[in-house]
Order: sequence, then structure tokens, then C-alpha cells
Amino acid sequence: MKSAVAGGAEAPPAPHVRKSVTGTRKSLVVLFLLPALVLLGALVVYPIGYSLVHSFLDRSGNSFVGLDNYRELFTDDTILTALKNNLIWVALAPTVATVLGLIFAVLTERVRWATAFKLVIFMPMAISMLASGIIFRLVYEQDPEKGVANAVWVGVHDTFQESSAFPKAHPGRDSPLVPEKGGAFLTKEPVRAGQSALLPLVGVAPDEMPDGTEPAKAVSTDPGKVTGIAWQDFTRGKGAGKLGAVDTTESGYSGMKVEAVGADGKVVASTTTAGDGSFTLPKEADGAKLRLPASNFREAYNGVDWLGPSFVTPAVIGSYVWMWAGFAMVLIAAGLAGVPRELLEAARVDGANEWQVFRRITVPLLAPVLAVVLVTLMINVLKIFDLVFIIPPGSSQDDANVLALQLYRSAFSDQQPGIASAIAVVLLLFVVPVMLFNIRRLKREGRR
Amino acid sequence: MTAQTEVLDGAPAAERSGLAKPSVASRIAGAAGGGFLRIFLIMVGLLWLAPTVGLLLASLRTPEDTADSGWWNLIGEPSQITFDSYSKLLDNSQITDSLWNTLIITVPATLLVVVVGSLAGYAFAWMDFPGRDWWFLGVVGLLVVPVQVALLPIARLFGDLGIFGSVFGVVLFHTGFGLPFAVFLLRNFFAEIPRELLEAARLDGAGELRLFFRVVMPLGGPAIASLGIFQFLWVWNDMLVSLIFADPGNQPVTVALQTQVRQFGNNIDVLAPGAFISMVIPLAVFFAFQRQFVTGVMAGAVK
Amino acid sequence: MKTRGTMRTLRQARHTGSGRITARAAAAVLAGSLALTLSACGGDDDSDDKADKGKDSASTVPLPKLDGEKIQVAAVWTGAEQANFKKVLGEFEKRTGAQVTFVPAQDPIINFLGSKIAGGSPPDIAMLPQVGAIQQAVDKKWAKPAGPEAVKQLAKNYSKGWQDLGKVGGKQYGVYFKAANKSLVWYNAKVFENAGAQEPKTWKDFLGTAQTVYDSGVTPVSVGGADGWTLTDWFENIYLSQAGPEKYDQLATHKIKWTDPSVKDALTTLGSLFGKKDYVAGGADGALQTEFPASVTQTFTGGEQPKAGMVFEGDFVGVNIADTEAKVGTDAKVFPFPAVGDEPPVVSGGDAAVLLKESKAGQALLTFLASPDAAEIWAKQGGFLSPVKNVDLAAYPNEVQRSMAKALIEAGDDFRFDMSDQAPQSFGGTPGKGEWKALQDFLKNPKDVKGTQETLEAGAAKAYKD
Repeated sequence: MKSAVAGGAEAPPAPHVRKSVTGTRKSLVVLFLLPALVLLGALVVYPIGYSLVHSFLDRSGNSFVGLDNYRELFTDDTILTALKNNLIWVALAPTVATVLGLIFAVLTERVRWATAFKLVIFMPMAISMLASGIIFRLVYEQDPEKGVANAVWVGVHDTFQESSAFPKAHPGRDSPLVPEKGGAFLTKEPVRAGQSALLPLVGVAPDEMPDGTEPAKAVSTDPGKVTGIAWQDFTRGKGAGKLGAVDTTESGYSGMKVEAVGADGKVVASTTTAGDGSFTLPKEADGAKLRLPASNFREAYNGVDWLGPSFVTPAVIGSYVWMWAGFAMVLIAAGLAGVPRELLEAARVDGANEWQVFRRITVPLLAPVLAVVLVTLMINVLKIFDLVFIIPPGSSQDDANVLALQLYRSAFSDQQPGIASAIAVVLLLFVVPVMLFNIRRLKREGRR
Repeated sequence: MTAQTEVLDGAPAAERSGLAKPSVASRIAGAAGGGFLRIFLIMVGLLWLAPTVGLLLASLRTPEDTADSGWWNLIGEPSQITFDSYSKLLDNSQITDSLWNTLIITVPATLLVVVVGSLAGYAFAWMDFPGRDWWFLGVVGLLVVPVQVALLPIARLFGDLGIFGSVFGVVLFHTGFGLPFAVFLLRNFFAEIPRELLEAARLDGAGELRLFFRVVMPLGGPAIASLGIFQFLWVWNDMLVSLIFADPGNQPVTVALQTQVRQFGNNIDVLAPGAFISMVIPLAVFFAFQRQFVTGVMAGAVK
Repeated sequence: MKTRGTMRTLRQARHTGSGRITARAAAAVLAGSLALTLSACGGDDDSDDKADKGKDSASTVPLPKLDGEKIQVAAVWTGAEQANFKKVLGEFEKRTGAQVTFVPAQDPIINFLGSKIAGGSPPDIAMLPQVGAIQQAVDKKWAKPAGPEAVKQLAKNYSKGWQDLGKVGGKQYGVYFKAANKSLVWYNAKVFENAGAQEPKTWKDFLGTAQTVYDSGVTPVSVGGADGWTLTDWFENIYLSQAGPEKYDQLATHKIKWTDPSVKDALTTLGSLFGKKDYVAGGADGALQTEFPASVTQTFTGGEQPKAGMVFEGDFVGVNIADTEAKVGTDAKVFPFPAVGDEPPVVSGGDAAVLLKESKAGQALLTFLASPDAAEIWAKQGGFLSPVKNVDLAAYPNEVQRSMAKALIEAGDDFRFDMSDQAPQSFGGTPGKGEWKALQDFLKNPKDVKGTQETLEAGAAKAYKD
């Protein structure tokens, strides 16, 4: 097995030795080579030439337009976005995948059940990009109830900041309450001791009322205190019912915070409503305005808009990394196995800690492998298509655009073969350095 | 499992090398960090598995349940499990036909690449002709050409030849783009066959053809297996090529599913089980032939 | 039952989204009748049976003998719609002896055709959902004109307006086979009942209804913003009602610019809905990731707490409601799009058959599709409106369909076709581009009327110049 691997990395020694052992007949060479060369010529080489030529031709393919198609590439907003995204992809995806691969490879080196772990990480490579795309559509579902990414994210977030019971509650028509900055509501008029204050709101459906909610009822007054009620001023099937008055089937707001705000803006008293929405404030509240603070109405945190315009490219890159980190890991692990133990041990004996050993010895020794991994991934990322085609919803597809996808669109939906060809040429230009790198590497190894 | 999995680096490297055991200090450090490391790796492993598990569980729920809540609710409520989506899917001729199409595209495309690639690989390794190594380097250069470059020109070419839309056209396209890797891999492998072996066979009176079929091909088994598996997975998993080159009647499962994605939420009862079924074969191939797959991946690292 | 189950698995509610037509009279009729039972919008089983029992309709259209001829027809229809269309093709096969293959196309169909034509093997006939696409197909010389037989049928069976929609440069190319009414607002009856809300007649009432629903604790409207065409439909209904048909036609042909004050007014009106906090289900971000079918289903699932109370779109919403447990007519009801100006708008759409390869069989099928015989076959199945004048109204399976069809025919030429479907594809019909994208951005930031107008104009200027 090893030989095939070595074949890739080292190539055969001194090719000139491998003279035919039979003295080859010309016709036989042709027989062996022709199928491959014809297929390669027609399917791979010819399209390169075709693209080069057509990138200078107009839509009909008949007249020469010079660099117009290329100019369009760098002026059309959609294509520029694709170009920009491609650069983000090339910079981000291979790096992240390689770093993760390196971490996994190093960490699992001494773990007994490393095999199982590696298998799990490597498995996504066998899956089609389409299936991965579907998988990650599910992962990135916006609704935290449905998408696992947001479910986790919101879970973490909510342990730090709880959402409130009445996010959608708001004053109805002709309400005595006015909104304040920051989401609180304040009464227009000051309240008096011995009177009862009505704080009607609407917008909370019966099913969404918190536990312990009771029907609202008219509040009794207490001469030395300010009493009142906060309730849902909405009767099922009848709209507001009697506006600003407590109707029989309306629910109280249970557990709502109420603050009394003095003329100087300071909170002079505060309380929380009972199950039926009623509350009582001490006489200090006399002459103050009542405020329902914003904490009652804090919206439930809805998580990250993964597939929205700003996050869609990183999100799709995430799915790519999921697929390809295993590739990096396996190659790096193979390289790691070739690192001489004596060197590491010697360094440890010299008092280097594990980090120093990793940083100063392992990584430099692995450099060639890391380079191969990075370059391979870059080539791969350059032609990324399926994931970008599948994952983003229609509204952010343009924000996620990449060159390969744009090429497909230009060629087939926009019917602009010139522009499609120009994009093809640009893609080719990107890979030419790697092409030369491969060839040089092979030639060098061949000579050895 | 164990026997097969060892390629993904069975024994810890430190033990394998048989060299100096870790120092006492590092062993203490290892023990302290060991628990943490273990937990970390388990977490990462679960993180990596979660998306796939999510797809599987989603495919086992009714679309109404999926529209209502996330797949993880199934764990608390196993009664939600239903195979309805699967049985409907298998009744759905568009999907079952497309699975069949995937197969009849993948198998010939794999065989063709192996056959044509072996022939050329042998020629580049053991035949004499002018500019042999330059030709080979040329082929290596083609390894990195993105398939997208060929879409439009080949669509026009196939149109002129009258094979656009046919299974044959798709197979041909996959063969063309599989060849650089095939030639590269096999030539390097064949070149390592000891010369003495070939000469011995030659002395026994074998001609070039006999040499190829009786000596080189059998010896090249492992490399051919790697190549075959690699190409098989590549073609099986392709969407783009068939999206353009396959007529609707010939479309493979990836394309059939793709047409459903635009209405993702509403087609989840087709997409989730469909995607899962489409993954079964590649995953089976992957687990059964990891060894060859990994070899292919490593050899193809330049692709 | 089995067939239906199977058919539904591969549904991909096609985005009929693209088609629309305006029949002014339809509004009035719809208002009364749609609230009645509307059960067969999705082509149910029982109607299948009826169709099979139906007598062989006498042929009103002469067709040649085509034994041994083979043709392909491409359309994006899936599920029930596909099955019903195949019945139409089956009748053609029976009458002529030709063999017709239905080719399920990927959506958008113009991309699909693009790749097939690049490879030189287009289907014989494609069902195109947009006027703009017909234009494009003609410009690119893909389309072949309809022959004299088909033209004769068209003249006999279609009003001039519907014929003209299929013409490019005075030549007849498209044959409109299926029509759609795109000026309807569907609502969850339970939500309205709980809120005590009423069906509104005007935009002002509509906002009031929305507020009432909101006060009751349910988000008022569901918007399938991931599909840009739902947003263009919102805009077009408002614009047609507010600015009037003359302006509508001018804007549709880009004779006035998108920076026109009338556009500003329409966007401001639309913004008065989109811009209200908590009026759109999931907020703007959520709506932008909601595809059209999901925007329907989330309005009619979730018991007393659906994600939204109302959803706007055409008669084909019924197909998606069939995916939920809600019954059209009792749980899901509908009212005509409210009048923003003097008259309520009626915007319509439709799918046209266009010949891509000249052949005797292709021409014959075009002729057949222009006849009442073909239309009646699908009409019996439900979920279908035909623009053909002399379709026997008795063919429609229920009162609601019948009244919609009647209104459509009675409107004659007094209708407006979906504006974005008349525009070049790159402006009016491409995900993530042109009008779709601009209105998606507008949904996200409804205050930016001016910026939206400028983006729209820039996109239009480029697309119409091409």
C-alpha cells in the first residue's frame, strides 16, 4: 500500500532506467496511449482553448470584443461579489481546515481510541456536497426551535440573559401608556394614593401567558396606597372589548414589574403584579408616574442569522470545513508518523515543554506536508460550487456567490458565453501556479 | 472493524515507533491533561457527528413534526419515529429511477477510467516513445483544471455530436476529468514495479500485451483499487456535471434532490430521506475500503 | 389515496409565483364566492374519479394523425399539477397517436432550457411562466412561431388580450394554457375569529385588521421573502391599485422610470406594512429565509397560535394549504387584495406553451392546448384556471373555481399581467438579482424608499438595455 503513497510523494527514481523491456512497437504505444490522449484532449484541453478564444468574443461568438468581457468581470457588482467571496474562501477555508486537521492529528497521536475519532472526522469526505448542503441547511435553520446551531447558541445566550414573559405586549388604542426609549411604557398621568391605576396592554395571546395567570378583575382601592392592575385588554373574539376597562374574560399579566417614577425621574417604589395582574404600591408612589420597565418586554433572543447576507459565506465555509478537516487530519497524521521520535525526545530531555516541542520541531518538520495540504485545499476551494448552490436561500444567494457558480449562471441562465469564458480563464490563471508547482516538484523528484 | 480501521492510524505513533518511551515528566503532564483531552476529543467527535445524525433523525420524523421543532426532539419522544418518508420515497419513481441512473453513470465511468488510465499509465511507465516524460508532465498539469472550465464548451461539443443529455455523455465527461489523476497515480505505481520481474516475464516469452495483462495489472491491484474507489465516490457524489449534461430522464439522485431544494422547508420529507439514501452507498464503500480510500486521498493530494 | 401520497412526495410547489393576470370583475365575484367552500384547490382524489367517469368530450379541434411521432414537453410542474397536465397530454396521445413525454424541468425553467439548448437538444415544447421568458426565447431564436392551425384556435378561443400576451413582434409564439389570479389574501379563520377581525376592503381597513390581529397576540402577515417574486407581487398589486393601469403599463415597459413618484408612493404604502414592528412573521430576517410554500404552511399550522394570521398570494396557495390539515373554505379563507386607490387590483399570471423545435406533432400539440378540449381536462381536476373563452364552466369541479374562471373570462381584455413577468428575466425573474433583490433589501429596510427606487432603476436600466 505504502508504495502508492510514496509514488505520489516521491515519484520513481531515475526514469531513464525504465526503458521498455520489450522494445516497444509504435503501433502498440498508440494503442495504449490514444484513448487517454483523445479523451484528455477533447474534454480537458479543448475547453481551455475554447474558453481562451471565447473570452474575447461577444455573445454570439462571432465578433471580437477585446477585453470587454474581462472589464465586465471587474465592474459588474454580482461578479465582483463572487470574486471577493472566492478570495475569502481561499484565504479562510484551507487555513481553518488545516489548522483543525493539525490539532486533531497531534492530539490523537497518543490516544488509544484515536481511530474511532478519526473515522468520525474523516467520514464527511465520503458524502456528496449536495447531501452536506442539505445537512447544513438543517443545521443553520434560523428558528432556534429547529436549527441546531441557533438552538445551542440561544441556549448559551439565555443562560446569561433571560428573555421576558411579554415580548410582544404593547399599548392598544387610546392607551394611558406611552412608549419610552428603550422599550419601557410610562403612564401619561401621575397616580394618586387611594386611586386605582389601569395599565391596559394588548398583544399577548392566551396560550402565551405565563403560568399562574388568572383572570383580571376590577381592583379595590386602598386610601393609603396606590393600587392598580396590568392586564391584557383584549377579549377573545371581540377585540378590545370595553376599551381600557377590565372585561370578564380578560387575563391579568402575572409577574410584571411596575415602577413608580417620581418627578425627578428617580424610581420611588416598585413591585411585581400578582397572578391576576393587580399590584399595590406604598404611599411614596403618590404623585408619581407608573412605568412598566423594558425588562418585561425583552424580546426572546433569536440567535444568529446564519444564512442572512452577512454570515452566509462564513456559514457555508463552516460546512466545507466540516467536510474537509478530516482530509487535512489524515495527511498530517501520516506526516506526523514520519517525524523522528528521537528528535522530539532529545528536545524533551533538553527541557523543552510540549508546546515548544510542537512549535519548534514538529511544525517545521511538517511544513512540506502542511504546504501540500494547504495547496490542495486551495485548488479545491477555488472551484467550490455545490455547497454555495444548495445552502443559501434565494434572498442571500447573491451575497454568497462564487466564481464557479457565476460561471454556471453566465453560461446557462444569462446566456453570456463570453463572460463565462472569461471567468473560466480567471479560474485557470488562479491554478496555473499550482500546476507549475506540481510539475516542478515531480521533475525534481524524478531527478533524485 | 478494527482490522479495517487501522489505516486511519491504528496504534499510537509513539508505541509504533518502539522508540524511547515518553519521559516521566511528560507522562505526568499527559495524565493530568489526559482527562481534559479525552473530553475535548469526545466533544469534537459529537460535534462532527451531530449534523449527520440530525439529517438521519429528521428523515425519521413526519414533515409536520419537522416543521414544528428540531430533530433533537425525537430523542425525548421516540414515538415520533416513522418510516413513512422512506416508504413514500421508495414509491416515488422519480427518486428510484434517479438512484438507478446514478448507478449506471457511476459504474461505467469508474471502469472506463481504470481501463484507459491503466493503459496510459503503463505506457508512460514502461514504453519508449519520444518526449515520454514531457507528455506525462503535461497530463500532470491537467490535474488541477477546474471542471467548470469545460461545462460550456463540452455542452456545445456534445450537442454537435448528438450525445448531449445521454448517460454516455455524462460518463464520458467524468472519464475525461478522472483521467489525469488516474494516469498520474497508476504511472507512478507501475513505475515502481521491479524491472527484474518484467524482464523475467519477457524472457519467458511474454509480449507487451501479455506483460501488461498478466504482470502489470495484477501487481497494480492496490493502486487500481484506490483509483476505482476514488473515482466511484467522485462520480457518485457529483451534481454539477449531471445537472448540465444529463437529460431529466437520465438524471442521478443528486440532481433529482437538487430540484427540491428551492422549497427546502416543504420538501424536507423528500430531501432528508433522499439525501440519506444517497449517502448509504458512498458510506458503505468508505467503511469497507477505507484503506484504499485513504491511499487514494493521499496520492491525490495534488489534485 | 395511494397515488396522491406518491404524487405529493415529489411536490416542489412550483413557483407559479411568476404568473399573474388582472381581471377587474374577478374581484367582486371572488369577494363573495371564495369565502364559501373552496375545497378542491389542490386536485383531490375524489375529483380524479369524477374526471374518469366524465363522458368523452366531443372533439372541437381537428388534429392530424401522428402515429409514431414523438415529442417532449418540459414544465416545472411537480406533484398534482404534473399528474393533471399528463392527463391532458394523454388525451392528445389518444387522439393523434403521437407519443408525448413529459420532461420535468428544474426551476427556473429558463436556466434548464439554457443548458439543454447549449447542448442542442431542447424539448419540443416548453411551458414558460413568464411573458419576459417568451420574449427572451424569441430574441435568442429558440422559439418557433405557432402555425396557422394553432393561430386559428387561438383566434377562436381567446380574447385579444390573451393572444397578444403570446405575441412577440406581431408574431404568435406563446399559447397561454393556464392562468392564475394573484390578487388574493388568504387568512387563518380561527385567528380572525379569536381576534374579532373582519375581512378588509381597503388598504386602510387592511392595516386596521392587521393591528387587531396583532393586538390579539398573533403576528399579522406571513411573507415568503426568500422567493423574490412574492415581493414583486405585493408591489404590483399596490401599484396597480394606487397608480392605475396606465401607469402600470408604462412602468412594465419601462416607459417611466422606477424613480417616478408613483413608485415612491407604492413603496411607501408597502413600507407602512413591512415597516411596522412585529407585523411580519419572523421579522424581516425571518421572512427573507421563508420560502413561499413555508409562508403558506406556517399560516395554517400551529393551532390557535400560527406564525401568522394572513398570507398574500394567488389562487395556487390552495395547493400548499393542501399540505396542511387546514381545510380551504373553513379553516383557510380568502379575500381579494384590498383597494389601495379607487379600485382593488387584480393582477394575473399564466403559463404559456412555446414551441422550441419545429415539427408537425409539436404544432398539433400547440393547437390542442389552445382548445377548450384540453383545458376542460385539467379544469375537471381542480386547481386550474383556463383563459379559454369557451371552456364549459361546468367542467370546473366546484363553485369557487367556477366563479374565478367566470370572472376571468368576463374580464375579457381588462386585465393586467404580472409586471415582473413582463420584464427581462434578469430584472424581473432571477433570484438574488434585479427587482427580486431590491425588494428583498426593501423588506429588510422599509425606510429606504429612495435607495430602493434607485437600485430598481439602475437594475431596470441595465436589463432593458440588453
